[in-house]
Amino acid sequence: MVDIALGTALAAIGAGVAIGFAGLGSGLGQGIAAAGSVGAVAEDNSMFAQGIIFTALPETQAIYGFLIAILLLVFSGLLGGGNGLSLEAGLVAIGVGASIGFAGLGSGMGQGIAAASSVGAVVEDNSMFAQGIIFTALPETQAIYGFLIAILLMVFGGILG
Amino acid sequence: MADGLTALISSLGISNEAFIALAVMVLLIIGAVIVVIVSRPILDIYPYLLPNARVRARKGRLFNEKHFSEIIEADDINEIVNYLRGFPDYADIDDKAIEKSLDLQLASTYNLVSKIAPENIRKAFIALAKKFDIANIKTLITAKDANLSRESTIELLIHSGKNYETIESLADSLNVEDIISGLDSTEYYSVLEDALNRYKETKTVLPLESALDNYYLENLLSATSVPANDNTAILYSFIGTQVDIANIKLILRAKADGLSFEDMDYYMIKNGHDVKEWKLKDLMESEDVSGVISGLDGTDYAPILNETLNDYNETGSIGVFEKVLDEYLSKYANSLSLKNPLGIGPMVGFLNQKEKEIKNLKIVARAKREANFPNSKIQELLV
Repeated sequence: MVDIALGTALAAIGAGVAIGFAGLGSGLGQGIAAAGSVGAVAEDNSMFAQGIIFTALPETQAIYGFLIAILLLVFSGLLGGGNGLSLEAGLVAIGVGASIGFAGLGSGMGQGIAAASSVGAVVEDNSMFAQGIIFTALPETQAIYGFLIAILLMVFGGILG
Repeated sequence: MADGLTALISSLGISNEAFIALAVMVLLIIGAVIVVIVSRPILDIYPYLLPNARVRARKGRLFNEKHFSEIIEADDINEIVNYLRGFPDYADIDDKAIEKSLDLQLASTYNLVSKIAPENIRKAFIALAKKFDIANIKTLITAKDANLSRESTIELLIHSGKNYETIESLADSLNVEDIISGLDSTEYYSVLEDALNRYKETKTVLPLESALDNYYLENLLSATSVPANDNTAILYSFIGTQVDIANIKLILRAKADGLSFEDMDYYMIKNGHDVKEWKLKDLMESEDVSGVISGLDGTDYAPILNETLNDYNETGSIGVFEKVLDEYLSKYANSLSLKNPLGIGPMVGFLNQKEKEIKNLKIVARAKREANFPNSKIQELLV
């Protein structure tokens, strides 16, 4: 078995939580948006482009989770072979993962619901596109908060820098 | 601090590997709880996403006021047909039977919604789509009662519903009794058979038509009778409101015509939304039309009927009440579509607006057949 420091192993859990939950939220959100978009395209083929845009929006949460997970893997020494993390830093890493993971879960699901509703509004009235994008973008903020806190935790928790 | 934590882990008597395994398990349990909690509302709305998007796309294609102004401005019926053929929903409209084409379009809309509706609510939409079966049977009975030929009768039927072939085959029945016997393989047989004696007594088709209407609404109520969630509860209240309005219209008309309690009672549908059985009895026992309206105090229908009472006194026509009640139902359906935009709301709202569109197109079509019918009058007649 590979010899991994306890802190590094905890950081690996943090990385898993980060991408796992953020990806779950993003996937659910995209699934919801895609279900609405398919219905819209089935009735109006010209809705394909707008449907793709609304369906793509909840992708960002998975990207944030993925970025944080990569940073954790690199700076914990799992990738690139650096020094392992201390136990405290490992616990901080779990907080980092939970921060973006759970924020991404809620944000992704909320964005998916808003996106599906917006697709419905746009297919009914094409002039609703801009308003739909604005409303759909709003639940993004929770993921941004989670991402920022994750970065701050990594910087001040001794993982980055 | 690291030493302290390590000491704490050691004092618990577990190894580092066991501690990590424990941490993973705790996180998994927390994660599972969170997923279960957050996924419940998602599971509720997920089945409605695709049908609602399809329905909203069709809602976007409904005619607005500008379209109707253009249709009303048409010089004759052919111009209306040409105008309608420019829209995908009406591309196949038959210029020789516009009303029938419009009914067919409405029937196909109902059938589509009953096909795409989520499984847990589909039964109710299938029950709603049966209105075309009911309409066909009523047409068949009325046509037979009026001694219409087979060809003329078939021309009036709407080619929709799983019973269409059976109904069509009965167009050359000898009499109304034969039609009822011929429907023995359908769910409408027992309903009509129960009303047959009354038909024989009264010599009018009204008891048969009323029995079918009652069956339709009661069937709808039972299809939505378990308000297990917001969606079924909304549909139940919508159908219940339809029942209320049907009962109120009937009582108002019966009072205006001076019918007795027994005559009315036969045609009443119990279990409405706002007007329950005991209230119906009170209303039927009222002395006159204004008594019925004051008896409705405390219900949602009282304010609109009270506002219309002056119009009734001026015109003496029950039609003014019927119009405001229909408008109320239409507004109620629209409010439901806003109340539950991620559930059943858009489907209910769309069907209601589609029905309104077809009704208005029929009004315009009929008016354009009349020579010199003023456009301003058509505008007034629109629902």
